[in-house]
Amino acid sequence: MALIRIDGDDLVVVMEGFDKLWAFKGSLTIPLANVRGVTADPGIATDPKGIRAPGSHVPGVITAGTFHQDGEKVFWDVRDASKAVVIELADERYARLVLQVDDPRAAVALVEKALA
Amino acid sequence: MRAAVELFGGRAYDGVSVDDLVSHLGVHRNSLYKTFGSKRGLYLIALRRHLADDVRPLLDALGGAPDAEAALRLVTAADLRLLLLATVERAPVDEEVASEVTAALAAVDRAIADALGVPADLAAALTATALGILLRGNTDNVATALTRHLDPLP
Repeated sequence: MALIRIDGDDLVVVMEGFDKLWAFKGSLTIPLANVRGVTADPGIATDPKGIRAPGSHVPGVITAGTFHQDGEKVFWDVRDASKAVVIELADERYARLVLQVDDPRAAVALVEKALA
Repeated sequence: MRAAVELFGGRAYDGVSVDDLVSHLGVHRNSLYKTFGSKRGLYLIALRRHLADDVRPLLDALGGAPDAEAALRLVTAADLRLLLLATVERAPVDEEVASEVTAALAAVDRAIADALGVPADLAAALTATALGILLRGNTDNVATALTRHLDPLP
């Protein structure tokens, strides 16, 4: 599970609990200028994810870590697909983040408001 | 992009999933995100496409409307589903949508005002009436009944 908050001109993603074991040192700070958008997308978990390295992927249980797909790096941390949000980035290490959040609707509203 | 206009014009914003967009637009999920950034990004482009494809021709047609009844009929005959949904659903929560919607409706007002030679507030009332008729679904009799009781427009 990830916590998403806005800190000044940055989007901060904090990984909770054991997820930080395979996530980026527990948190990631991204300038809002590099955030292109955020979307609630429960369907993404059933899509092909590309090649994992490094991280953990137990199909049907948890998808976490860095995946390479179509020349892009995508960070995943999703256990409950119904709570997945996709954050599209520009000029960052990751092309996009696919995160499980507590309230996808609220997370989308929070980031879109910050981007407006 | 017409497929996105149809999707967003046919049901609520939240009712259109990324799965729906991926299957109806025939694009991969990754390229959808890469191209549009988010569902909202795609929605804004679909809305602008709708305004260009469906509202713009309406403005041109309104330019030739001889009277209020003709203007009402033109508006109620147009495909304005996405504009109506955007007005009701997204404009209150999305400033960018609100400004697109406001500009589009103001353009309809102006087209009516220019064609009929009526003041802006009366043109806005006619636009509001037409949108109301669209929402009610009875596009024939009400427009006639109303315009019969309007004072002859100059």
